[in-house]
Amino acid sequence: MEKLSVKIERANSEVVDLFEVDYTKEMTVLEALEEIYRHHDPSLAYRFSCRTGLCATCMMIINGKPGLSCMKLAEPSTNGFLTLAPLPKGSTIKDLVKEL
Amino acid sequence: MKSMEVIKTNILIIGSGAAGLVASVYAGQAGADVFVIDKGAVGKSGSTVGAVQIASLGAWSQPEDSVENYLNDIKESGRGLSDPELMNILANDLSTRLEDLIDWGLKLDLDENKEVAVFPTAGHSVPRSVSARKGKMGLAIVQTLIRKVNSMDNVRKWSDVITLELVKTSGHICGAIVFDQKTNTPYLIHSNAVILATGGIGQLYPITSNPAQTTGDGFSLGLAAGASLIDMEQVQFYPVSLVTPHSIAGLCISFYHYSKLYNSRGERFMTAYEPEFLENTTRDKLAIAIATEIATGRGTSRGGVYLDASGELDKVKKEFPHEFTLCTDRGIDLAKDRAEIGPAAHFIMGGIQADGDGATTVPGLYVAGETAGGLHGGNRLGNNALSECIVFGARAGLAATAVEGITSAPPSNSPQSKMTDLFLKKIQSPTNGHIRPHELKEKLQGILGENVGVIRTNESLGKALQQLKEVEVELEQVKLSSTGVYSREILDFIEAGHMVRTAQAIVGAAIQRKESRGAHFTTDYPQMSSETYHTIVKLDDETMEFGTSPVKGGDR
Ligand SMILES: Cc1cc2nc3c(=O)[nH]c(=O)nc-3n(C[C@H](O)[C@H](O)[C@H](O)COP(=O)(O)OP(=O)(O)OC[C@H]3O[C@@H](n4cnc5c(N)ncnc54)[C@H](O)[C@@H]3O)c2cc1C
Ligand code: FES
Repeated sequence: MEKLSVKIERANSEVVDLFEVDYTKEMTVLEALEEIYRHHDPSLAYRFSCRTGLCATCMMIINGKPGLSCMKLAEPSTNGFLTLAPLPKGSTIKDLVKEL
Repeated sequence: MKSMEVIKTNILIIGSGAAGLVASVYAGQAGADVFVIDKGAVGKSGSTVGAVQIASLGAWSQPEDSVENYLNDIKESGRGLSDPELMNILANDLSTRLEDLIDWGLKLDLDENKEVAVFPTAGHSVPRSVSARKGKMGLAIVQTLIRKVNSMDNVRKWSDVITLELVKTSGHICGAIVFDQKTNTPYLIHSNAVILATGGIGQLYPITSNPAQTTGDGFSLGLAAGASLIDMEQVQFYPVSLVTPHSIAGLCISFYHYSKLYNSRGERFMTAYEPEFLENTTRDKLAIAIATEIATGRGTSRGGVYLDASGELDKVKKEFPHEFTLCTDRGIDLAKDRAEIGPAAHFIMGGIQADGDGATTVPGLYVAGETAGGLHGGNRLGNNALSECIVFGARAGLAATAVEGITSAPPSNSPQSKMTDLFLKKIQSPTNGHIRPHELKEKLQGILGENVGVIRTNESLGKALQQLKEVEVELEQVKLSSTGVYSREILDFIEAGHMVRTAQAIVGAAIQRKESRGAHFTTDYPQMSSETYHTIVKLDDETMEFGTSPVKGGDR
């Protein structure tokens, strides 16, 4: 199965976590996170609700730019990794979860 | 266990969709101290955010529209199960509640003549649906209400706290035990009254239009507190929802009245089911027709049928821009592609039984929005969920303000239900088990999807009940591999507990209804019975009891 390399810069963590996720065509960033929660790391924290780009709770930094994880397709940037981080503004509760 | 920290308020409102927020504003305006809590982010976690339009009566209404007209449509749609008192209140209060929202800053979408744009909706005899923020009515309502809430010092919001159970003293509700996910701390919120506004049950099914939080917690909480559930078998499947791609599976296609549906043989099958209205019929009939095509082998390999919207694309783009763009972005070009669609769990007409003020049979417990039952009967008309939220949210908020609470006897600090007990035990020894909570949720979704979908049988319902018992036992075998703060595992576990209880109520109610009516269709009793009755579910000392009760206002 094709793999996608996902790097997650979790809040309050010095190390960047790397996950090799089973990749399916047209997979969104949110689906990649769901894969990680289910099969790699049950402690990963991220927010989402509507899955259709309306609630904006799934917003994070995706390959260096802010974006909705349910709307962005999971694609590596030029460095070969899909890199995720919490939004820089405001306080972060855990990993990718902001105080809302 | 050491005693829990207690927080005091007049009114605790659980859930911050349209119903919970409307209740917060009206209760706040009446001077009550209000706490509105949500297991997700306040105002951003319920079905409300996804709603497109609202049914309305107002200055913009068509000349032929009226309270009576609206009332007739709801009555017709409810298949004899809609409560006459609730219908009357909805039709009579709606215009005033909309005016209030407009006063607070809600701006309705306008047409090219700068008049309020009024849209037709299947099942409504007259066009009466309006929207805001270009077809994002739910979002617009929530934003208006959040602004209002933020301006009131006596209304406090609290995100990321999930409710474990409601608490009673001498038969009167006096608060709830909640769990703050940000600090992993349980709290006891002590209040005069509680309003449950926790939304619906979409997540009990594998394919749903609903957001992640719709795990049916309110029904489970209400049952455990002694409230009755009415007509829980009445689950509305949105007939036309995307089957693929996976990332947006369940997305409602609201423009089906502008589309043609074809089976895998290329037949426009609605000509056989509804020769007069074709695709523009009520949701229950359309869902049953589509599910029948699929069940009889005329569906696609993914279990859907085809939708062709190419004939009315301009209207689709204009009235439903969000859905149109989402389809386009995920590779469905509606100008030339046929989308693959099927029924997805969308709404529950059944719910906690309450009167016109949202008062349940348990003193101090109120309910509003999708968690309440009785209004929509066997089929909810499109755009009538938001109208329900704003009308009954307001009434529940005001009625709860008048409740004199139990001040003298603060509730005991020890958990009262088996489920909370199990939860607190698990948190203390999380690794004593072997099943991950999300696996249990998925198992439950599979059971309901397979056996309690659009088409049901005695056999499938019996099987579901049996399998749900197994899931209930497996809750005790859950292992929590991550118990830090903001743990999805913990959230999944609490939700799984509520889901099992609510699922059992749905299946048990479905077994009680020995006929096909509204959204409940069983091949063992394919006809509507001449006798009209409600199904009722109660919980007595952890045992679920099922029964029926006569409808108000006689048979029809
Ligand atoms: C995609 C979609 C489109 C729709 N379109 C329309 C439309 O166009 N017109 C229309 O009228 N209706 C529509 N509906 C239906 C309508 O949106 C909902 O029925 C209605 O918004 C429900 O509002 P509510 O306030 O009752 O619940 P919700 O908006 O669902 O809010 C419930 C809240 O309670 C919280 N909660 C749940 N359990 C707990 C707990 N244990 N502890 C703490 N908090 C909890 C949830 O996180 C959530 O925020 C649509 C629904 C969906 C899903
Ligand atoms: S989950 Fe709601 S916008 Fe992404």
